[in-house]
Amino acid sequence: MFNLENLTIQRGSRIILSDFKSVIETGSLTIIKGGNGSGKSTLLRAIAGFTPLEKGEIKNNNKNIISYKEEWSQKLIFVDTKNGLSNNLTIIENLKSWASIKGWPTSEENLSKALKSLDLVKYANLFISECSEGLKKRAALARLYFSFISDIDFWILDEPTNELDKPSQQLFEKLILNFLNQQGTVIIASHDLNILEKKYNVIDLDLLKEQSIL
Amino acid sequence: MFDWLANPNRFKRITNKLEPFLIVISIILIASGLYFGLFDSPKDYQQGDAVRIMYVHVPSAWLASFLFLSLAVSCIFYLAWKHPFADIISNTIAPIGAVFSVLTLVTGSLWGKPMWGTWWVWDARLTSMLVLFFFYLGYIILSNAFERKIDGSKSASVLALIGLINLPIIKFSVDWWHTLHQPSSILKFDGPSIDEQMLLPLILMFFGFSIFSLYLIIVNVKTKLIQKKCEALILKSNLKEFL
Amino acid sequence: MKLTHLSWTYMFIAHIKRDFLTNSRSLIDLISIIGFMLLIIILFPIGLGPDQEKMSIVSNAIIWIGLILAILPSLDKILQKDFENGWLDQIATTGIPLEIVLLSKGISYWLMVLIPLILSSPLFVILLSIELKYLPWLIVSMSIGGLAISLIGLIGSALILGAKRGNILLPILIIPLMIPILIFGVGINEAVKIGESPFGNLFLLIALALIYLIISPFISALLVRIAIGR
Repeated sequence: MFNLENLTIQRGSRIILSDFKSVIETGSLTIIKGGNGSGKSTLLRAIAGFTPLEKGEIKNNNKNIISYKEEWSQKLIFVDTKNGLSNNLTIIENLKSWASIKGWPTSEENLSKALKSLDLVKYANLFISECSEGLKKRAALARLYFSFISDIDFWILDEPTNELDKPSQQLFEKLILNFLNQQGTVIIASHDLNILEKKYNVIDLDLLKEQSIL
Repeated sequence: MFDWLANPNRFKRITNKLEPFLIVISIILIASGLYFGLFDSPKDYQQGDAVRIMYVHVPSAWLASFLFLSLAVSCIFYLAWKHPFADIISNTIAPIGAVFSVLTLVTGSLWGKPMWGTWWVWDARLTSMLVLFFFYLGYIILSNAFERKIDGSKSASVLALIGLINLPIIKFSVDWWHTLHQPSSILKFDGPSIDEQMLLPLILMFFGFSIFSLYLIIVNVKTKLIQKKCEALILKSNLKEFL
Repeated sequence: MKLTHLSWTYMFIAHIKRDFLTNSRSLIDLISIIGFMLLIIILFPIGLGPDQEKMSIVSNAIIWIGLILAILPSLDKILQKDFENGWLDQIATTGIPLEIVLLSKGISYWLMVLIPLILSSPLFVILLSIELKYLPWLIVSMSIGGLAISLIGLIGSALILGAKRGNILLPILIIPLMIPILIFGVGINEAVKIGESPFGNLFLLIALALIYLIISPFISALLVRIAIGR
């Protein structure tokens, strides 16, 4: 169980969420909806533990994620629009260095399975500077595969499907379904709701805003 | 205590009463300090009347250092408790402190001319003051270097903290450098030991300057509070139109 | 998997490995830094005139000033790129403290930029007609000073994360911090030159490097948390 308790979040001097409450069940998919500038990314960054909260608490199994920051960090994979890939490295080198700073086994086998999960094997030795946006996104999402060989409980993804073509979107959906099946929790910010034919919860920031103004 | 004072209305109420006293006291202190300094204190046996620049130079130097300490303290408050009021205070202190460090440098340079026949000497104190000025400058520049002003506040506060840690190190290294290179014949800036008649105007001037800068800080903080209120009002009316 | 201090070391090395790989792919940066330092050093004799004696008075100062100036344009490389491409976010979601990661950043900058630059100092020494017997002391003192410079650079590059035109304001923010290094560093080499004991300055320089070794990871971690929390 994942609780958002009375969250107030500011970006700059603008209040994005005020006194927001929600419960996210373990093993569920939650989609954060909202237009540009509604604060989707900021909410995700707050959940990941980057953006400090003005008020309120975020609790994972009744443990405040700020007080248990290191434990929480190890449980999640965060991928946002900045993919976290170095232009000077190839796709496989990026994946390998990422896995090794996470402290995970970087055997050839694991890496190639991860690449396979998003059909990247033939691009493995391509430098990121030569990749299209779609390929970069896939290279970033290939990290998700590591959830199946180590104990990751959360995915926090910001607009993951934007640049993906149809086949890779399907691969991505398959990853999500597998993860949900092993009781993983997925939180996605997106303005595009048609990504999955699966039951999901919605947090609509635009709706919240209208309510708070009225 | 801080929270109590940080309430804008309470702050305004208290400071409205305080303001006239502060300005009057600071004028009295500075005027009497100037009188004692310019007319009722001994000439220096070597420097003659030029030594009287000291009565502006030394208190400014003290105050520039003291204000940096206050800046750092208020920045620590801001970093620890994220209270926007502390940020307003640091933003106000920085330019005032910068002005006092410039005043120190300028009077030091004016003092140097009759003493050594040159506008600038690489005296250890003047050099340290120059570095202090650059820290003020850095704080002001960094806190204005971000798209949203508020984003710069925290980084600039850390810079003030870095200054607090590093200024003693720099001061020590500059003193070290100065003793390493100094031929023994050159006069030190503070000259011969200060006698009592010189101490009185120095202290009067220092407190005069301090109270005057407190007055300036209060006026500036009030202006910034009003500014913030205006911005909030404009935002609100825009929002109403928008709906 | 529970992380232990043993795996902290492991990940510290993993970070340095990655930095080594990315830096080795942009060797041209290193070449231009060395070229820049060479040019700074060439400018002095051209400005002062070709008088050997005049040069020998200022040569140690020139080489230290050259070192400090030459690395300024590359300082934003330490963190800025990783901030822009989101790598710092990834770092913040690993179980090891940010302080350790940032220490690795400072160390890898020292190893991959400062040390190569310092090792090319025979070139500078010849140009400034410093006697070759002073070279070992120069390299030792610059390596220690270089560590302090890298760690100050780490703080500097963390200060400007997210700022507009950060690389323009970086020099104003960090050159004041470099003053003690310049004083003690030149002090060592001058003492060696006139045959005095350099150890007073050397110990102060070592102390300075140690102080920054302790404080700069904490300060820069504070700044990185601020930057990724915006």
